[in-house]
Amino acid sequence: MRSHLLHLLLYSTVVSTFFGVLARRGARDRFRLGSMIWATMVGGTLVLAYLMYAFPR
Amino acid sequence: MAGGGPRDAGADAAGAFSRGKTLLAVALAWAVPGLGHVVLGRVRRGILFFVLIAGSFALGLAHDGRLALRDPRQSVLTTLQIVANAGVGPADPAARWAVYGEIAYSMPQDPSSRRLVIFRDRTRSALSMYGTAYLWTAGLMNLLLLFDVWDIGRGRKA
Repeated sequence: MRSHLLHLLLYSTVVSTFFGVLARRGARDRFRLGSMIWATMVGGTLVLAYLMYAFPR
Repeated sequence: MAGGGPRDAGADAAGAFSRGKTLLAVALAWAVPGLGHVVLGRVRRGILFFVLIAGSFALGLAHDGRLALRDPRQSVLTTLQIVANAGVGPADPAARWAVYGEIAYSMPQDPSSRRLVIFRDRTRSALSMYGTAYLWTAGLMNLLLLFDVWDIGRGRKA
Protein backbone atom coordinates (compact mmCIF):
# COMPACT_ATOMS: atom_id res chain seq x y z
CA MET A 1 0.00 0.00 0.00
CA ARG A 2 1.75 3.14 -1.18
CA SER A 3 -0.92 5.78 -0.56
CA HIS A 4 0.03 8.28 2.17
CA LEU A 5 -3.62 9.17 2.69
CA LEU A 6 -4.68 5.54 3.17
CA HIS A 7 -1.88 5.05 5.68
CA LEU A 8 -3.04 8.15 7.55
CA LEU A 9 -6.62 6.84 7.66
CA LEU A 10 -5.62 3.30 8.61
CA TYR A 11 -3.09 4.30 11.27
CA SER A 12 -5.53 6.80 12.80
CA THR A 13 -8.25 4.14 12.87
CA VAL A 14 -6.00 1.62 14.66
CA VAL A 15 -4.81 4.12 17.27
CA SER A 16 -8.19 5.75 17.92
CA THR A 17 -9.96 2.39 18.26
CA PHE A 18 -7.29 1.18 20.69
CA PHE A 19 -7.48 4.23 22.96
CA GLY A 20 -11.26 4.47 22.72
CA VAL A 21 -11.63 0.89 23.99
CA LEU A 22 -8.79 1.19 26.52
CA ALA A 23 -9.79 4.46 28.15
CA ARG A 24 -13.59 4.36 28.21
CA ARG A 25 -16.37 1.99 29.30
CA GLY A 26 -19.55 1.68 27.30
CA ALA A 27 -19.99 1.72 23.54
CA ARG A 28 -21.19 5.32 23.38
CA ASP A 29 -18.27 6.79 25.32
CA ARG A 30 -15.79 4.64 23.45
CA PHE A 31 -17.16 5.74 20.11
CA ARG A 32 -17.10 9.38 21.19
CA LEU A 33 -13.46 9.30 22.37
CA GLY A 34 -12.33 7.22 19.39
CA SER A 35 -14.02 9.60 16.96
CA MET A 36 -12.42 12.59 18.67
CA ILE A 37 -8.93 11.05 18.47
CA TRP A 38 -9.46 9.98 14.86
CA ALA A 39 -10.71 13.42 13.80
CA THR A 40 -7.82 15.13 15.62
CA MET A 41 -5.21 12.90 13.97
CA VAL A 42 -6.63 13.09 10.46
CA GLY A 43 -7.72 16.72 10.64
CA GLY A 44 -4.50 17.86 12.31
CA THR A 45 -2.37 16.08 9.71
CA LEU A 46 -4.34 17.55 6.79
CA VAL A 47 -4.14 21.06 8.26
CA LEU A 48 -0.39 20.67 8.83
CA ALA A 49 0.08 19.29 5.31
CA TYR A 50 -1.87 22.23 3.87
CA LEU A 51 0.29 24.71 5.80
CA MET A 52 3.47 22.91 4.70
CA TYR A 53 2.43 23.22 1.07
CA ALA A 54 3.68 26.82 1.22
CA PHE A 55 7.17 25.55 2.17
CA PRO A 56 8.09 22.83 -0.31
CA ARG A 57 11.68 22.53 0.98
CA MET B 1 -17.37 -1.53 38.55
CA ALA B 2 -16.79 -3.44 41.74
CA GLY B 3 -18.13 -6.85 42.50
CA GLY B 4 -17.68 -10.08 40.64
CA GLY B 5 -20.01 -11.06 37.84
CA PRO B 6 -20.05 -14.31 35.89
CA ARG B 7 -16.97 -13.21 33.90
CA ASP B 8 -15.02 -12.62 37.11
CA ALA B 9 -14.72 -16.25 38.15
CA GLY B 10 -11.87 -16.37 40.63
CA ALA B 11 -12.19 -12.74 41.64
CA ASP B 12 -12.95 -11.63 45.19
CA ALA B 13 -15.93 -9.53 46.25
CA ALA B 14 -14.16 -6.33 45.18
CA GLY B 15 -13.51 -7.74 41.70
CA ALA B 16 -9.79 -8.35 42.32
CA PHE B 17 -7.98 -11.51 41.29
CA SER B 18 -5.11 -13.05 43.25
CA ARG B 19 -1.67 -11.51 42.77
CA GLY B 20 -0.44 -14.75 41.19
CA LYS B 21 -3.24 -14.89 38.64
CA THR B 22 -2.75 -11.21 37.85
CA LEU B 23 0.99 -11.70 37.29
CA LEU B 24 0.26 -14.69 35.08
CA ALA B 25 -2.23 -12.60 33.10
CA VAL B 26 0.36 -9.82 32.67
CA ALA B 27 2.96 -12.32 31.44
CA LEU B 28 0.48 -13.87 29.02
CA ALA B 29 -0.57 -10.40 27.85
CA TRP B 30 3.03 -9.66 26.91
CA ALA B 31 3.47 -13.03 25.17
CA VAL B 32 0.23 -12.83 23.19
CA PRO B 33 -1.44 -9.43 22.91
CA GLY B 34 -4.96 -9.54 24.35
CA LEU B 35 -4.52 -12.89 26.11
CA GLY B 36 -4.21 -11.24 29.53
CA HIS B 37 -7.66 -9.70 29.08
CA VAL B 38 -9.07 -13.05 27.97
CA VAL B 39 -7.62 -14.78 31.06
CA LEU B 40 -9.31 -12.18 33.26
CA GLY B 41 -12.66 -12.69 31.52
CA ARG B 42 -12.57 -9.68 29.16
CA VAL B 43 -12.77 -11.88 26.09
CA ARG B 44 -14.19 -9.51 23.48
CA ARG B 45 -11.84 -6.73 24.55
CA GLY B 46 -8.90 -9.15 24.40
CA ILE B 47 -9.78 -10.31 20.90
CA LEU B 48 -10.12 -6.71 19.68
CA PHE B 49 -6.75 -5.77 21.19
CA PHE B 50 -5.17 -8.81 19.56
CA VAL B 51 -6.54 -7.84 16.16
CA LEU B 52 -5.34 -4.24 16.52
CA ILE B 53 -1.84 -5.11 17.75
CA ALA B 54 -1.23 -8.11 15.51
CA GLY B 55 -2.56 -6.12 12.55
CA SER B 56 -0.30 -3.18 13.32
CA PHE B 57 2.68 -5.51 13.73
CA ALA B 58 1.93 -7.30 10.44
CA LEU B 59 1.56 -3.98 8.62
CA GLY B 60 4.90 -2.90 10.07
CA LEU B 61 6.70 -5.98 8.82
CA ALA B 62 4.98 -5.81 5.44
CA HIS B 63 6.17 -2.23 5.00
CA ASP B 64 9.83 -2.91 5.86
CA GLY B 65 9.58 -1.41 9.33
CA ARG B 66 12.82 -1.06 11.25
CA LEU B 67 13.58 -3.83 13.72
CA ALA B 68 15.89 -1.69 15.81
CA LEU B 69 19.50 -2.64 16.45
CA ARG B 70 21.38 -1.11 19.39
CA ASP B 71 23.97 1.33 18.11
CA PRO B 72 26.61 2.45 20.69
CA ARG B 73 26.76 5.85 18.98
CA GLN B 74 23.07 6.43 19.79
CA SER B 75 22.65 4.04 22.66
CA VAL B 76 19.71 5.67 24.48
CA LEU B 77 17.63 6.24 21.37
CA THR B 78 18.24 2.82 19.85
CA THR B 79 17.66 1.09 23.19
CA LEU B 80 14.27 2.80 23.46
CA GLN B 81 13.49 1.65 19.93
CA ILE B 82 14.29 -1.93 20.93
CA VAL B 83 12.00 -1.61 23.96
CA ALA B 84 9.20 -0.44 21.66
CA ASN B 85 9.84 -3.38 19.33
CA ALA B 86 10.05 -5.89 22.17
CA GLY B 87 6.66 -4.80 23.54
CA VAL B 88 4.91 -7.29 21.26
CA GLY B 89 6.52 -10.23 23.02
CA PRO B 90 8.02 -13.30 21.32
CA ALA B 91 6.76 -12.06 17.95
CA ASP B 92 9.69 -9.61 17.97
CA PRO B 93 12.52 -12.19 18.14
CA ALA B 94 10.59 -14.33 15.65
CA ALA B 95 10.45 -11.40 13.25
CA ARG B 96 14.18 -10.74 13.73
CA TRP B 97 14.88 -14.38 12.94
CA ALA B 98 12.78 -14.13 9.77
CA VAL B 99 14.32 -10.82 8.65
CA TYR B 100 17.96 -11.02 9.76
CA GLY B 101 18.32 -14.81 9.88
CA GLU B 102 19.26 -14.52 13.57
CA ILE B 103 17.82 -13.06 16.77
CA ALA B 104 19.95 -9.92 16.75
CA TYR B 105 19.69 -6.76 18.83
CA SER B 106 23.01 -5.00 18.20
CA MET B 107 24.38 -3.05 15.26
CA PRO B 108 27.38 -4.90 13.82
CA GLN B 109 30.62 -2.92 13.48
CA ASP B 110 31.63 -4.68 10.28
CA PRO B 111 30.16 -2.63 7.38
CA SER B 112 29.92 -5.73 5.17
CA SER B 113 27.90 -7.65 7.77
CA ARG B 114 24.80 -9.32 6.30
CA ARG B 115 22.69 -7.98 9.18
CA LEU B 116 23.79 -4.42 8.49
CA VAL B 117 23.12 -4.76 4.76
CA ILE B 118 19.59 -6.05 5.42
CA PHE B 119 18.97 -3.31 8.01
CA ARG B 120 20.07 -0.58 5.58
CA ASP B 121 18.12 -2.04 2.66
CA ARG B 122 14.95 -2.09 4.72
CA THR B 123 15.34 1.45 6.02
CA ARG B 124 16.00 2.73 2.48
CA SER B 125 12.60 1.47 1.38
CA ALA B 126 10.14 4.28 0.64
CA LEU B 127 7.58 2.79 3.01
CA SER B 128 9.96 1.97 5.85
CA MET B 129 8.95 4.99 7.93
CA TYR B 130 5.35 3.84 7.92
CA GLY B 131 6.39 0.31 8.73
CA THR B 132 8.48 1.52 11.65
CA ALA B 133 5.58 3.57 13.00
CA TYR B 134 3.30 0.51 12.86
CA LEU B 135 5.89 -1.68 14.59
CA TRP B 136 6.56 0.78 17.40
CA THR B 137 2.86 1.45 17.82
CA ALA B 138 2.13 -2.28 18.14
CA GLY B 139 4.81 -2.70 20.81
CA LEU B 140 3.86 0.41 22.78
CA MET B 141 0.15 -0.43 22.66
CA ASN B 142 0.91 -3.87 24.08
CA LEU B 143 3.06 -2.37 26.85
CA LEU B 144 0.13 -0.11 27.78
CA LEU B 145 -2.11 -3.18 27.89
CA LEU B 146 0.14 -4.75 30.53
CA PHE B 147 -0.76 -1.90 32.91
CA ASP B 148 -4.42 -2.27 31.95
CA VAL B 149 -4.32 -6.02 32.72
CA TRP B 150 -2.66 -5.29 36.07
CA ASP B 151 -5.34 -2.74 36.97
CA ILE B 152 -8.13 -5.14 36.01
CA GLY B 153 -6.50 -7.98 37.93
CA ARG B 154 -6.12 -5.91 41.09
CA GLY B 155 -9.73 -4.70 40.87
CA ARG B 156 -8.90 -1.07 40.08
CA LYS B 157 -10.66 -1.21 36.74
CA ALA B 158 -13.62 -3.11 35.29
